[in-house]
Amino acid sequence: MKNKKHNPFKHRPSYAHGLQSFCFNFFRAMTYFILICAVVIFANIFFKGAKTLFLSHFPYVNVDFLTQFPETLHVFQDPMTHETRELGEVAFRHYEAQLAQQGIALSSEVHAYAGGGIFPCIVGTVLLVSGSMLIALVLGIFSAIYLSEFGKQGRLIHWIRVAIGNLAGVPSIIYGLFGFSLFVIFLKWNFSLLSGCFTLAIMVLPIIITASEESLRAVPRGFREGSLALGATRWQTIRKSVLPYALSGILTSSILGIARVAGETAPIMFTAAYLVRSELPWQGLNKMSDFFFQGVQALPYHIYVLSTKVPQNEYTERVQYGTVFVFLLAIMFIALTSVVLRIKMRNRFRW
Amino acid sequence: MLTASRRFRVWGWSGDDLIRLFFQGNALVAILVLGLITIFLFREGMGFFPQYQKELQLYRKSGLEFVEVMRQQVEAHKALSRLLFQVEKAERQNATPTVTSQQKIAFKNYLAQFRKIIVPLIDLEMEWEKVAVDLRDRYRVAQDKKERKEALLQSGKFQEEEQIRIETFDFQKNANFLKDTLPRYHQINRVISDEINRLINQAPHWTSSKANEQWDEFRESVTRYLSQMPHREKQLEEWNAFEPVPWIRALAGFLLGKEWITQSFWNDFYGILPLLTGSFLIASVALALAVPLGIGAAIYVSQIASKTEQKWIKPCIEFIATIPSVVLGFFGIVVLGEGIRWLTQQEFLSWVPFFPVHNRLNIFTAGCLLGFMAVPTIFTLAEDALNNVPRIFKEASFALGANSLQTILKIMVPAALSGIMAAVLLGFGRVIGETMVVLLVAGNRIAIPDFTQGLGVFFQPAHTMTGIIAQEMGEVVRGSLHYRALFMVGILLFLISLTVNYFAQSLVKRFKISIG
Repeated sequence: MKNKKHNPFKHRPSYAHGLQSFCFNFFRAMTYFILICAVVIFANIFFKGAKTLFLSHFPYVNVDFLTQFPETLHVFQDPMTHETRELGEVAFRHYEAQLAQQGIALSSEVHAYAGGGIFPCIVGTVLLVSGSMLIALVLGIFSAIYLSEFGKQGRLIHWIRVAIGNLAGVPSIIYGLFGFSLFVIFLKWNFSLLSGCFTLAIMVLPIIITASEESLRAVPRGFREGSLALGATRWQTIRKSVLPYALSGILTSSILGIARVAGETAPIMFTAAYLVRSELPWQGLNKMSDFFFQGVQALPYHIYVLSTKVPQNEYTERVQYGTVFVFLLAIMFIALTSVVLRIKMRNRFRW
Repeated sequence: MLTASRRFRVWGWSGDDLIRLFFQGNALVAILVLGLITIFLFREGMGFFPQYQKELQLYRKSGLEFVEVMRQQVEAHKALSRLLFQVEKAERQNATPTVTSQQKIAFKNYLAQFRKIIVPLIDLEMEWEKVAVDLRDRYRVAQDKKERKEALLQSGKFQEEEQIRIETFDFQKNANFLKDTLPRYHQINRVISDEINRLINQAPHWTSSKANEQWDEFRESVTRYLSQMPHREKQLEEWNAFEPVPWIRALAGFLLGKEWITQSFWNDFYGILPLLTGSFLIASVALALAVPLGIGAAIYVSQIASKTEQKWIKPCIEFIATIPSVVLGFFGIVVLGEGIRWLTQQEFLSWVPFFPVHNRLNIFTAGCLLGFMAVPTIFTLAEDALNNVPRIFKEASFALGANSLQTILKIMVPAALSGIMAAVLLGFGRVIGETMVVLLVAGNRIAIPDFTQGLGVFFQPAHTMTGIIAQEMGEVVRGSLHYRALFMVGILLFLISLTVNYFAQSLVKRFKISIG
């Protein structure tokens, strides 16, 4: 075998073999092309966004960006020091008034939304996501329990499944229209957090139901049969021997639903998302219920506004990339949690 | 059963039954929601057709329809002028050196003369337009007043009600006025055709071959234009302001209309064709990219890749699905659109006919991003389908002496074909329903793309069904015709996605049987 020339098992070059390796490499190239595209997008946003979000000095994270309100940015030539300075709206007006007392006029270049931070958007997104997930999880888990535990495989179940399958494919903008006509107009909830939460909840419901049903089905039949054989009722069986084992699976899969809810813009465009609000959702309320019947700012809608209504230049780019970066980080964190939890889950229950 | 009978019962239902009912109620929510979506979309949207029919009726009664014929003629003449300008431009650029500057001035004069012919018609059209638009606007004001009057009557404010005076309209008089001016129109038309014929006969001698080529084209268009004249005249003669507009006309106007015009001083038209073509063109670009990539990657991961590669590539591609569409749209505006424009401006690509691309935001850019979005959907489902092909298929193929490539392409892929088709269908559904990317990146020009440019059509801006809803919904008045039109677009989109889903589901079902 030392002499390769005489190796009788060696592949002889042939047309078929060459074609095969060519095709395989072609498929490989396609796969890696997709991954490269993804890497390019991520890298672009990460590098440019990191410049906004992280600082080279203590505390290393741009806290102002995360805790302030969006502001108009003024760029101007300081008449005192002859430097180019950038100030937010409030600080600029203050400074302008100061100089006006000394009889110096200021003129500035204005960049809308380019100053300050994105705190209200983060708050709004968190409120929308938590509200909608609360609604969707309750409805979704109960429906899944019915479908996998109670339902006899009859016509009703069949139609419910068809409906769920179809709902999963309905475009998100249609949910937006639906939420607008049902919640905003018909139920007169107006343009509010509540309308937005319900719209998003209904949008994500099919995903939650399918995912929950899958994890319920993953619990072995023996668990149920054993419990029923001991004289427990159906509900007791579900509560004591099925749900505890399925619940973590349900939650894990639902986290993917959270990622989807947080990323959607179209459904909240005409149900809940405000362009600008000067107050945080818990400020300036007359009564408790006002909290739910107010519009909020949200990250995805803010990104939409930033990228369409604001021209791209070096000042606005910082805020644009920063916002997109924070948003993407949050979504990736949620999605990663789901993946990690799922891997852990597999090792936890072995039956 | 013995224990069960001792438990409490409400109207004959035991506790367990009630719990079951409770869960059942929750599951019914899915059907309920589907029903509610349908009901509420139709509730807001269905009023569109009667209202649109009324609008078209007013369009006719007030004489706008009559004037439209004239406008079309003016437009046609302007188009001819543009063609002639092209001829003159070609002559200017490619003329033989012997052409004197005097000749060049003659060419220019010729163009100016042609442009001047239409002026009397423009004057006439403006005159009529003023009458018709004024009548329509006054009528609308009167309608609003009527509504207010009724509202006041109902709330019992009789005094205020009496103060509102409503103008009465004599549409017949208006129609007669328009009809009476027809002789003037005939006369102008005769002058126009005489002048055009005279100019054609006195045509200058173009020296360059390109100019001559375009001149022939121009001549053809002129003949067509002149032959349309009697047709237009007849159309105006036969025009009747009081002929009712059938409802089918409103329906056809929506489904087949080539114009989506809103908030114009003239008349609003809600034809969905530009949006539909935009949506489908973008979807076709997206699928042309996503289908080969998604299926290729699925084949690679499920059949060719090693175990370790499988382990990390699969979650990575699935991870792409979680990128929010608004982020991709932002990337499209800031990076991809610029990148494509930069690329098409390069010297070595200048041989491509429609390069360089001027619009940063166009169908192609949007299609690329949507294709990228659809890849995970197609990949996941196609990979599932390939994995579900029974092992014996593969083993039998190998046993017969086929190599891996033959097995994959001739056995595995055909066996999984219905699953792959379902994957493509669902990918299509995802692409056609996507909103943010097209809203940000497609360029938002409401017009049917110019198909005469060949492949260049993919580098024009377009608007889509989803985009128009997202863009205009925030600004419309509730209950107005425009508002209902947007809901109608929504209904159409809803029906398309339901159909696509239905077919995908039935395909998957058939696929499962064939494997089972």
